[in-house]
Amino acid sequence: MSSDTTAAEEVKLNKRKKGMSQRVKNMISGYLFISPFYLLFIVFGLFPILFSFYLAFFQWDGLGDMTFVAFNNFSIIFNDPLFWKSIYNTIIIGLMGTAPQLVFGLLLAYALNSALLRFTNIFRVAIFLPYVTSIVAVAIVFSVIFSNQEGGLVNSFLGLFGVEPITWSRSEWGTKVAIATMIFWRWVGYNTIIYLAGMQAIPNDLYEAAKMDGATVGQQIRHITIPMLKPFIFFTVFTSTIGALQVFAEPQIFQGRGGRPEGISIVLYLYREAFVSNYFGTASAVALVLFFIIIILAVANLLIANRIGQSPRRGL
Amino acid sequence: MKKYFGLTSVAALFVLAACGGDNADGNNGGNDDGNANNSNAEAANNEGEEAANNNSGASEDQIELNFWLFGATGYPDLAEQYMEENPDIYINFQEIDMEDHHNNLFTALSAGSGAPDMAAVEVAEIERYRGAEDRFYNLNELGAEEMEDQYLDWVWEIGQDPESDYLFGLPTDIGPTVMFYQANIFEEAGLDSDPESVEEMLTDWDEYEEAAAQIYDATGLPMVDSPETIFNALRDQSEQLYFNEEGDFILPENEDLREAYDFTTEMIEAGYVGGYEMWTPEWGSGMSDGSYATLPAPAWMQGVIKDNAPDHEDWRIASLPEGAGNWGGSWITIPEQSEHPEEAYAFLNWLLSPEQQLEAFENMGLFPSAPEVYEMEEFQNYTDDYFGGQETASIFANAAEEVEHTYTGPNYTAANDEMIDALFNVFDGADPDQEWDDMIQRIEQRIDR
Repeated sequence: MSSDTTAAEEVKLNKRKKGMSQRVKNMISGYLFISPFYLLFIVFGLFPILFSFYLAFFQWDGLGDMTFVAFNNFSIIFNDPLFWKSIYNTIIIGLMGTAPQLVFGLLLAYALNSALLRFTNIFRVAIFLPYVTSIVAVAIVFSVIFSNQEGGLVNSFLGLFGVEPITWSRSEWGTKVAIATMIFWRWVGYNTIIYLAGMQAIPNDLYEAAKMDGATVGQQIRHITIPMLKPFIFFTVFTSTIGALQVFAEPQIFQGRGGRPEGISIVLYLYREAFVSNYFGTASAVALVLFFIIIILAVANLLIANRIGQSPRRGL
Repeated sequence: MKKYFGLTSVAALFVLAACGGDNADGNNGGNDDGNANNSNAEAANNEGEEAANNNSGASEDQIELNFWLFGATGYPDLAEQYMEENPDIYINFQEIDMEDHHNNLFTALSAGSGAPDMAAVEVAEIERYRGAEDRFYNLNELGAEEMEDQYLDWVWEIGQDPESDYLFGLPTDIGPTVMFYQANIFEEAGLDSDPESVEEMLTDWDEYEEAAAQIYDATGLPMVDSPETIFNALRDQSEQLYFNEEGDFILPENEDLREAYDFTTEMIEAGYVGGYEMWTPEWGSGMSDGSYATLPAPAWMQGVIKDNAPDHEDWRIASLPEGAGNWGGSWITIPEQSEHPEEAYAFLNWLLSPEQQLEAFENMGLFPSAPEVYEMEEFQNYTDDYFGGQETASIFANAAEEVEHTYTGPNYTAANDEMIDALFNVFDGADPDQEWDDMIQRIEQRIDR
């Protein structure tokens, strides 16, 4: 190659570069700026997820050969009563832990938003604090509070009313109450803050007008606050549903590594299959099933949300 | 290609399991499950957990060996000596939490890259690798056969493939089981409380039950902390466990384990067994406030007891009725990915020799797997003021020599977990016979994959 040609090429290249519009340049640099996330996501997020879908059709102990077993992993888990129990547990614990949370969060947010309360910032921080606490620490502290022994905190309190000590970590409802309480305590602050943000966006004139018309506090909440908060309520229901389906650390730490039938959740069942028993195929099958359950519930949520959103205004 | 399959699939499960965020390292904050954990807990009471992350200090003409470890072993200090004597070797340690250690090792082996030159594997974890002999060097091929006579037979057998001439790992420390007991509770019940008399009094399990009755009547306290520890002691005296060497599930026909189960449930129903789940705070505080009379447990439990009850003066040690078992201990393997297996083996040959084992015992309390150490004067004369000046080392040594190896099998942990659950269900009021059948069903369901 002579130096002439390269020089000519360079000129050409420069020309082309100049020809590139500012828009295209911005686009390229934009993609470059966001690419680190997507590259990492593809390697550590997307590919593993797709691979675990693939793995759901194989039998594999993590070290040996993989054997293709078609849908056998699914028939194994569908025939395992414990798998159904784990779904049941997840739903029940989810309802017990999240439904009261949304109601409570709303009331707390209303209280925090009220002009009557002093030191609001301190209360806001305090109520959000559980959310940033380490989940493992929470679970350990709660397993001390919900101790099976007579001298445990909750048991000795119940003892004051003549209630027999409850074996929290091994009884059907004791376990669920304890785990649901942990979830409630940890997430109520998060939902409260979201509601609070929503409430602060509601114009004050609405309340003033309502007061002029003689509306009580209850009426104000029902006819102004809640309707105006609709999008925020949908959001929290949405995230809570998904969060509830993925409950893991609470039952795991409360009941030990492999869990027990009273408290085992879908994700804990998955974990037990993979990391206690080394059945990566069935574990992946569980992951796939969980994926579809979440999609179905998310779509259902969305449909209901749209339906309500479109309906002509009632009340008011 | 297979390489990548392995790596990503394990990662995939982690990602899915951790999808909700914040759960990624939820693997056991503190609620350990019995078998696998704390094998090196004895070290907890020893000070000086030096982080030995001398990040790659190897010079160019040195061979660098990576060694993955968990627990406080004091091996990095010993390795300093070795490096002085062998200037061409540099040993790089990575010491982390036990569960993370095993997860990392499993992932690296599964992925086919990233494994160290040497890695410790805990006794309960060895079973995961039984079917994966191609992932490790056969230590016999590196000359380990010559070391066999140094170790207790049963310890050696655990690291071996019974079918072939294959050796996974070289033994480090072990956990022979004994009976820890609170002498003051024995005295309160009018029983003899010095170790010799207790051993004479409790030669078999029937006598143990009689003593339990006497203690229960006099003090109202349970004889033993939990169904788990008493059952473990009985289980380890059986000739066969849940599976035979062909991999068949033999629990339904195993008379020994059925007897162990019946004895435990009988004790439970009589009120002689406490409901303290191992590793819970109440279980720990029971060590200091005298909630139970005996604790059948391995040598490394000394550290746990001393931590929980530092001012207690009445803990003593006696042999278990009818023989000891093993609970814990590790084996050092050389993963097949290592580029310097000979050098790694040479180091292990030195590190796990009786002389170095004595030092590890003196430094960190690792209980030696080489019986030669038991004859050494420094070892025999080892007394412990905490246990009233008892010659503790020789008591454990006697226990270690009594142990017999029993086959566990890959699904051992799953089966044993269900057994412990069943015993606690009986504790909560389930009918023992019904629960036995239910447990069999649960295990079959769980291993039928």
